[in-house]
Amino acid sequence: MKNTLLAALIIFVLGNLCRFGLPWWSLAPIALLVGWFFARSAWAAFFGGFLGGFLLWYATAWFADSSNGGLLSAKVGQLFMGVEALQLLLVTGGLGGLIGALGALTGRWAKEMLVAPSKKRNYLQEKRR
Amino acid sequence: MRTIKFLLALSFTTLIVWQLARPQLLGDKTIPPLGTFLNPFSGFWANAEPVEGFDEQSLSIPGLKNKVEVVYDDLLVPHIFAENQEDAARVQGYVTAQHRLWQMDMTARKASGRLSEVIGEKTLRLDRLARRKGMVLAAENDLIGWNKSPKTMALLQAYTDGVNAWVSQLSPADWPIEFKLLNYEPEPWTPLKVALVSEAMAETLCTWEDDLESTNTLALLGYETFNYLYPEWNPKQQPIIPDTGQWLDLHPLLPPPFFTDTTPSLGFIEPDAPAEKFLNDCQIVGSNNWALSGAKTKSGKPILCNDPHLNLTLPSIWFQVQIHTPEANTYGVSLPGVPGVLIGFNENIAWGLTNGSHDVSDWYKIHWANAERSKYQIDGEEKAVQFRYEEIGVKGKPAFLDTLRFTVFGPVTYDFELENPLRDCALRWIAHDVPELSTFDVFLGLNTGKDYESYKNALPGFDSPAQNFVFASSAGDIAIQSQGKYPVRGQQQGRFLQEGDRWANAWHNYIAKEQIPSMKNPSRGFVFSANQHTTPPSYPYYYLGNFEDWRSRRIHDRLEAMTNATTDSMKTMQLDNFSQRAADALPTMLRLLDRSQLDANGKQMADELAAWNFRYESNLIAPTIFEAWFDSCYTATWDEISALEKRGKSTIPTDDLLASKNQKIALLYPDAWRFIEIMQTDSASVFFDHPATPFRETARDIVLESFKLTQSYFKQNPEKRVAFGEYKGFVIKHLGQIDAFSRLGIKLGGHRTAPNAISKGGGPSWRMIVELGDVVHALGVYPGGQSGNPGSRFYDNMVDTWASGNYYDLLFLKNANEPSARILGKQVFNP
Repeated sequence: MKNTLLAALIIFVLGNLCRFGLPWWSLAPIALLVGWFFARSAWAAFFGGFLGGFLLWYATAWFADSSNGGLLSAKVGQLFMGVEALQLLLVTGGLGGLIGALGALTGRWAKEMLVAPSKKRNYLQEKRR
Repeated sequence: MRTIKFLLALSFTTLIVWQLARPQLLGDKTIPPLGTFLNPFSGFWANAEPVEGFDEQSLSIPGLKNKVEVVYDDLLVPHIFAENQEDAARVQGYVTAQHRLWQMDMTARKASGRLSEVIGEKTLRLDRLARRKGMVLAAENDLIGWNKSPKTMALLQAYTDGVNAWVSQLSPADWPIEFKLLNYEPEPWTPLKVALVSEAMAETLCTWEDDLESTNTLALLGYETFNYLYPEWNPKQQPIIPDTGQWLDLHPLLPPPFFTDTTPSLGFIEPDAPAEKFLNDCQIVGSNNWALSGAKTKSGKPILCNDPHLNLTLPSIWFQVQIHTPEANTYGVSLPGVPGVLIGFNENIAWGLTNGSHDVSDWYKIHWANAERSKYQIDGEEKAVQFRYEEIGVKGKPAFLDTLRFTVFGPVTYDFELENPLRDCALRWIAHDVPELSTFDVFLGLNTGKDYESYKNALPGFDSPAQNFVFASSAGDIAIQSQGKYPVRGQQQGRFLQEGDRWANAWHNYIAKEQIPSMKNPSRGFVFSANQHTTPPSYPYYYLGNFEDWRSRRIHDRLEAMTNATTDSMKTMQLDNFSQRAADALPTMLRLLDRSQLDANGKQMADELAAWNFRYESNLIAPTIFEAWFDSCYTATWDEISALEKRGKSTIPTDDLLASKNQKIALLYPDAWRFIEIMQTDSASVFFDHPATPFRETARDIVLESFKLTQSYFKQNPEKRVAFGEYKGFVIKHLGQIDAFSRLGIKLGGHRTAPNAISKGGGPSWRMIVELGDVVHALGVYPGGQSGNPGSRFYDNMVDTWASGNYYDLLFLKNANEPSARILGKQVFNP
C-alpha cells in the first residue's frame, strides 16, 4: 500500500515537469521509470501509476478550471456531447491514470524481465531496512 | 514469460498513447486527439484563463528601437505608447496576435483558399472558388501597389515581424483552442496575409452581384416590363451628395463606344446548375455614418458617428486599439491582421466608413476558340489564356490540382468542373487591380491626420472597395467623400452579362479622382451615408450598385430635425428601430385592406397593426405580424416570377430536367420600395393578378388574401405569434461555426430597414460616437470582446452591453502613466 502511494506521489511530482515544456505523453516514460525504480510489484506499479497519473491530470485541470470559473469547461463540455465540467475532469483524470498505470506497469515488467530474480531488493528498500 | 508480459505492456502502452495523439473518427465527425486535447498541460485546459487578475509583463522583442509600453484597460483594450511608428506597428502586431491569432489565420486561409489544408475535403469547393475568384492575385497585386510607398511597407513589415515575435515563442500549450481542436499548428504571418485579410474585407463588401439574374429576367420579361419592375433610381431616396450645381461644369470621360446601345446581346442563360450566390449574401452588409457640424450640437463642436453593419462573428471582426506615437494619438478599431486603425479618431479628427455599395464586378461571357479552352476569341482574333496552376492541400488526402484560366477581363471562375450558370464567364473585379497608390498611406494619413487638408490628401489612394469616408475635425469642419475606383460605364453597362469577345466591352477609363463626389461643410449642417445612392441621377456618370432605400431616408429626416445634439441623442439615432419601409408600406396596405371582409379576430389584428409606430422593438408583437403579412403580400404579388423561376421558359428543353432536379433559374425580384410604389400608384397592375384564377385580381385582393393567410398562419402556429425579438432570433456565430463558442438566442429588436440594422446574424459591428473638441469624448461598443479565446472573460463580455443598447466610454489616454481606475495592467516591451 505504502509503495503504491509512494509510486503515485513520485509520478505526481515528476509529472509536473510537463508544465515546463515536456510533451504531455512524457507521463508514459516518467511512469515507466517510476515503475522500474520504485514499484515493488506489478500491482503497485499499476495502481500507483493510475493514482499518480489520475491525480496529476485531474488536479492540474481542476486548478485551471476553478481559476477560470468553469467558463471554458462548460463550452468544451457542450462541444463533447454536452457533458458536465465534472465529467470532463474525470475523463481527463482517467486518461492520465491510464497512461500512468500502463507506463508504470511496463517499467515494472521491464525490470522483472531484465534484472530478473524479483527477490532482489532495490536500493531504496535496502536502505529502508 | 517475463519477456512476453513486458512486450505486451509496452506495446499496449505505446498503442494507447499513440491513439490518444491521433484524431479519432466518431460517427462522421473527426474529434481531436484526446490526449493532446484533454491533457491539462498543453490541451484545452491551458486555454482556461484565470477570471481575475492580469499578467504584468516585461519582455523583449527583436527589432524594437525604443521601449514601448502597453496599458490594458478593463475591456482589455491595449493602449500602445511608442516613440516611433515602426515600434508601434511592431507591438500592435504582437498584441493583436496575442489575442486574435486563430482568427487572423482563418481569415487569411479562407481568402487564399487554404481551408482544406486544415479542415479537409469539406471546404475544397470553397477553396477552389476563392482561388478562382482571383483572391490571391488580388492580394499579390495589393502588395505591388503598397510597395510603392517604402515608408508604409516598413510599417507593414514591422507589424508582420511583431506578429511573428508572438508566434515564434509559442509552445503548444499557448496555441489558441481552435488550433488544438482542428489539430494544426500556427504558422508565421506575412505581408501577403495582410493583403489577404484586406481582400477578405473587400470581398465581403463588394459582393453585390446579380448580372445573371438581371440577364435572365430581361430575357424572360422583355424591356418594357423589366424597366417597369426594376427602375434604378428610387425618387424618394436621399443621396449622399445632393446636387448643388457642382457638376454643371464637370466634363465627364466618355464611356466605351459599344455601349451606346443598351441591348445585351446575351439572352437567357441556360441553367445547367443551380445558381449559387457567387459571392457572399450581402443582405446584412451595410452601414451608417454621419457627422454634425457645431451648429447642430449642444457643445458647438462636431460629432461624428459610425456603425458598420457586418456579419457578426466571435471572435469579433474588430479589435480596439489606441496607438500613441509622437506623430499622433489615435484610437479606434483595427482589423486583426492589418496594422493601424481603420475607423476611429485622434485628438484632431475623427473618421468613419460605410460601404459605397457600387457594383465593381462584371461578368464577361468567354468564347472559347478550342476544346482545350487554351484560347479564346476577341475582336476576331484568338488569344491565349494565361494559366495559373494551383495546388490545394487537403487534409488526409493528396493535394488537389486546379487549373485557373485568366483572360484579358479576369479569371474564368466556373467551368464544367465547378458548375454554375456563370460557367465560362470571366470576372472583371476592381479588387484585382494593382492599386495606384498605397492603401496604407490612406489610413496612415487618417490615423495621423490633423485637419481637413490631411483628410483630403489621404483619401485619393483608396481604390476598393469604394467607401464613404465621413469626417469631422476639432477645428469644426465636417465632410464626406465617396472614395473608390469607379469604371466609366455606358448606360446600364455591367447590369447584365456582357459579351467577352470584344474588347470594346471592357472598362477603359475610371472616373477622375477630382470628379469623385464629395461635400464639405454643407449649409444644412450635416453629412451622412447609409449605403444609398452616392448622387442623384444628375451626376454625369452612370453607375450601379446595391443601394439602400430606407435607412438613409430616416437618418436624413432625423438629422435635419436635430438641434442641440449630444452623444445621448446620437445613441438614440444609432439604436433607432424605426423602419421607413414599414412606414411606407403599412398605411398603404391598411388602406387597401377591405375590413368588411374580416372576422372579429382579423379586425383585431388590423387594429393592432394600425396602432403600431413602425418600430421593430423586440417586445412588440405588431412587427412580427407586419413582417409576416408583408412577406406574404410580396410573395403573392410576384408569383409570376417564382413560377418562372421554377419552370424557366416553356420552350427551354431542359425544363423537365430542371423540374426533376428541383433547380431554380436565377431571376431578379423587384425591390421592396418599387413594390410598395406599385401598390400605391398602380393597384390594378397586371402583376397583382393570379394568372391561374378566372378573376382579375388587384392590389386590394392580394392585400386581403395575404392578410387572411397571415391570420390563419398565426392561428395554426400560435407559438409564432410572439414578440419580435423572439420571432426573429439572433445569433452571433463563432467563426468556425462552433455553437459552443457562439452566442445563440439573443433577443433583439431592429431591422435591416431601420437605422439599427439588426438582422439574423448581422448588424452594427461597432457603434462609435465621437464628440470632438478640446477634450475628445468618445463612446463605443461592439458585440464581442477583445480576446479571441473562448476561455477568457474578455471573449464576449461586450455582447450584453451591446445588445442592451449601452456603450462604453472609450478610455483615451494621454500618456502611459495617466492614472485611471479602469487600468488593468501593463506590458512593457524592451528593445
